[in-house]
Amino acid sequence: MKTTSQNLPIRSIANETVRRSSIFAVCFCFLCSIAPHFRNLPVWVSAIVLLALGWRCLQNLGKVRELPKWVLIPLVFFGGIGVFAEYWTIVGRDAGLALLTVMTSFKFLESRRHRDLLILVFLSYFLIATHFLYSQSIFTASLMFANLIVATATLITINQREEKIDIRQLVGSSTRLVLLSIPLMLILFVLVPRVPGPLWGISSEQRGGVTGLSDHMSPGKISNLIRSNEVAFRVDFEDRIPAQNRLYWRGPVMARYNGYRWYQARRQVLNRFNIVVSEPPVKYTVTLEPNGERWLLPLDIPTKLIPDALMTEDFQLISTKKINDLLRYSMESRVAYEVGADEDPEYLGITLEYPEDLNPKTITMGKSLAQRFDRNEDIIKEVLKMFREQEYFYTLQPPTLENDVVDEFLFNTRRGFCEHYAGSFALLMRAAGIPARVVTGYQGGEYNAVGNYLIVRQSDAHAWNEVWIENRGWLRVDPTAAVSPSRIEQGLDNALSDETSIFRIQNRNPIFGNLLYSWDNMQHSWNDWVINYDQRKQQNFLSKLDLGIESWSDMVFAMVFLLATVTGLFWFIVWYRERPPKPEACEVQFGRLLKKLSRRGFQKRPSEDSRAFLERVTDRDFPQREQLADIVELYNRIKYGRKGSSVRNLDSMRSLINSL
Amino acid sequence: MLSVSLPAPVRRYFDNWFDSHNPPSQDAILLHNRRLYILPTRFGYLFAIMLLFLFFAAINYQNSMAFMLTFMLTALGIISLWHTHKNLLGITVKLMIPRPVFCGESCELKFEVSHANNSKRYAIGIQYAEQVPVYVKLEPEGTSGAKLRIPTAHRGQFKPMGITVFTRYPTGLFHAWGWLKFDVPVLIYPKPATKARLQQSMVEQYDGQTSTSTIEGEDFAGLREHREGESLHHISWKAYAQGKGLLTKTFQGQARPSIWIDWNMVNEGSLEDKLSLMTALVLAAENEEQKYGLRLPGTLIEQDYGSAHKHACLQALAVFRQPDFNQEFKLEND
Repeated sequence: MKTTSQNLPIRSIANETVRRSSIFAVCFCFLCSIAPHFRNLPVWVSAIVLLALGWRCLQNLGKVRELPKWVLIPLVFFGGIGVFAEYWTIVGRDAGLALLTVMTSFKFLESRRHRDLLILVFLSYFLIATHFLYSQSIFTASLMFANLIVATATLITINQREEKIDIRQLVGSSTRLVLLSIPLMLILFVLVPRVPGPLWGISSEQRGGVTGLSDHMSPGKISNLIRSNEVAFRVDFEDRIPAQNRLYWRGPVMARYNGYRWYQARRQVLNRFNIVVSEPPVKYTVTLEPNGERWLLPLDIPTKLIPDALMTEDFQLISTKKINDLLRYSMESRVAYEVGADEDPEYLGITLEYPEDLNPKTITMGKSLAQRFDRNEDIIKEVLKMFREQEYFYTLQPPTLENDVVDEFLFNTRRGFCEHYAGSFALLMRAAGIPARVVTGYQGGEYNAVGNYLIVRQSDAHAWNEVWIENRGWLRVDPTAAVSPSRIEQGLDNALSDETSIFRIQNRNPIFGNLLYSWDNMQHSWNDWVINYDQRKQQNFLSKLDLGIESWSDMVFAMVFLLATVTGLFWFIVWYRERPPKPEACEVQFGRLLKKLSRRGFQKRPSEDSRAFLERVTDRDFPQREQLADIVELYNRIKYGRKGSSVRNLDSMRSLINSL
Repeated sequence: MLSVSLPAPVRRYFDNWFDSHNPPSQDAILLHNRRLYILPTRFGYLFAIMLLFLFFAAINYQNSMAFMLTFMLTALGIISLWHTHKNLLGITVKLMIPRPVFCGESCELKFEVSHANNSKRYAIGIQYAEQVPVYVKLEPEGTSGAKLRIPTAHRGQFKPMGITVFTRYPTGLFHAWGWLKFDVPVLIYPKPATKARLQQSMVEQYDGQTSTSTIEGEDFAGLREHREGESLHHISWKAYAQGKGLLTKTFQGQARPSIWIDWNMVNEGSLEDKLSLMTALVLAAENEEQKYGLRLPGTLIEQDYGSAHKHACLQALAVFRQPDFNQEFKLEND
């Protein structure tokens, strides 16, 4: 057969009219995916979005005209200029988002074809992705999942070409598509080989407003931090969790003091590590929430190095990059040790410095302590005893201090928070000739029994001291513990039960406590399994599965195999559910009968119905006419009679036909 | 626009392949797996590019949720590939025998689209060449009608070609289609000539026309010997039964000339011009309620009138010297 050539019929479908409802749907879809970004965007960008969408909707209703090109082109141009003026760049996360938003908004104003609408839905899909650059929490993920359903429903309504929008049907179809995609997505998520990034330079941008430790300490710094209920990090221990009063999470160490604030001394990377240990190491894994800083928070003295981090001579563990993404690392620490006996004398000099002209009373007191006691240990004991036995109070709302703040605090107000105690203790020690420094970090944490891990919140932020004793090295001293032992033993809630909001789940909500622990556990698992699922995690997971999936090719093979299997399974289920209805059993048998008769030369004429045909056959000299009559009788009985005996009748009908 | 242009031999190979897998059907075409094709649309490719971009962005930012979204959309693509295919699978398209039209008019093709599955089908399009498609929706086990108007450019009898049934539902990322090749003839009469030309040639016709052998009127006049070329309607069968041979009834009364529309009488213009003129003559004669016959080289249609007669004449004119009748044609040359 000769034919003229055929082109493949995939082409843009010409002259397609777009229904009004589709345009409204696309506007709604875009609004849904951009709305959560309004807090990340400059106000004028949000305003442009709303104005453009509003204008497009009015235009759709025929209230306003489409903006002509000579208005649109300058608008686009000034939009770009505006973004540049706002950020002084048009690349990077924030500026890129603003530019994308502005341009998409203007695109709406000139969208009238089928094609434009599809592109706008694609842009909405893309916008969904940008949200994850700001947050990857369960909440964001759920919101974006809902957005995905909206965008997909929009895509469906554009392609459905129905005059009326049936929202329930649309959302149903869209949800069905999305839910069916989930298993395939999981297969891809687990098995697509992960590549370590980044591929090109990315500017380091913070995720929203984060709270965390600071590189200096002045009165009020930490007490602000502890008002936050945010999780700082979560810790999974390999064995038992050490006692609360040994859980000192080491952050910035401050050795320099200017009379008002404490700040960090410049320290070298540790190259000799003399540590005398008396207990086995504590092994644990920290999942650190992004905080925009560099301190990794090991327990006490870390004795293990991890990639992309280094340890300084004052045992701070510092990341080489700012922590803008959730970070997970396994560590080993010692909580019983002697360390730093061979401290550099130059550094020890720094840890004895203080401004002579400030806080005269404190300095005098320190000097007199040095005269009274021979042993440095006794001086320390004496100061702690003073804090414990005299009228010192632990409070989050200390009176404002002026001028000689330490003097004011120690001899006058006597009310303060850990930073006041740590600061004044360090100054007293220095005045008495004992090298001392301030260590900030977190203390304690809340145990989550549901997931067997420790939650450390910003409210667990703390400051304590380290003093240097000849032959023993650096010793931790926590003056706050002397004032308020419950702070260290039981946490902040118990120490300040009457003046702060309550942070810990167990105290906050005794009834739904377990539920909240489960929720926190879910977040922890989310962090662990979803957000932290990188190349290493993937390798670990796959080797734990022990299915022999090791190389890239194994992974790709397994992926294709699973995708095909699951899709095939879905296909089968849907095919089965939607298959055409089967003809009734008696009809099938009746069909067989007709076939058999036609083979013997009895053709049913198109004009006659089955009954007339069979009568005609029986009227002729058909050899088995009685049998045939029986079959017809059975057929009628099954079809029109009572339901009860139909199975037996069918069997006899079948056997009669067989023997015909 | 994506139109695949391949080297001629490859193309011929594919055409043959398509043809052997899509034999024309007498009445209904069931779209089963082997008759269905699916390829990404332009938006499908655009979507793929977006996914690739998202994937690299996810790698770059090491953003797990971005990975997840990328994979989710990939999965959505896979699922929608299958759904688009499923939306067309099992559909039966039937072409109603179309009414003949005159060349230049648009020919209306009526389709009956149905399926027996327990699922709704949306946005099933039927499209001819690159024209605006018509869309139908099907309820579970439902049937729906669709009309396609196709412009005509040539007289003759054709099998409709270049018609596809397709769908892009639900996501528009894929285009699934099946060829609708029916073994149903579409008859296109020649375009009737204009009135002016008709009138001019009518005169010639009447001038050359001498024999008014049978005269139709109110009263029966008598019988005379049957001559070849006369209508069988007027043979006196009673007389024939009596063994008197073939006699023709003659009538007396208001005489109406019966005419022959003869190929040889129309001598001006090209083949198509002649046919077009003869078509006009047929229509005019039918309109005047004259009896008329058609003489074409190799074809003779006896004098008569009535719509069946008219159709027979017009059909004869339509297919007269139609180049290579057995060949399938598109309804319109491209």
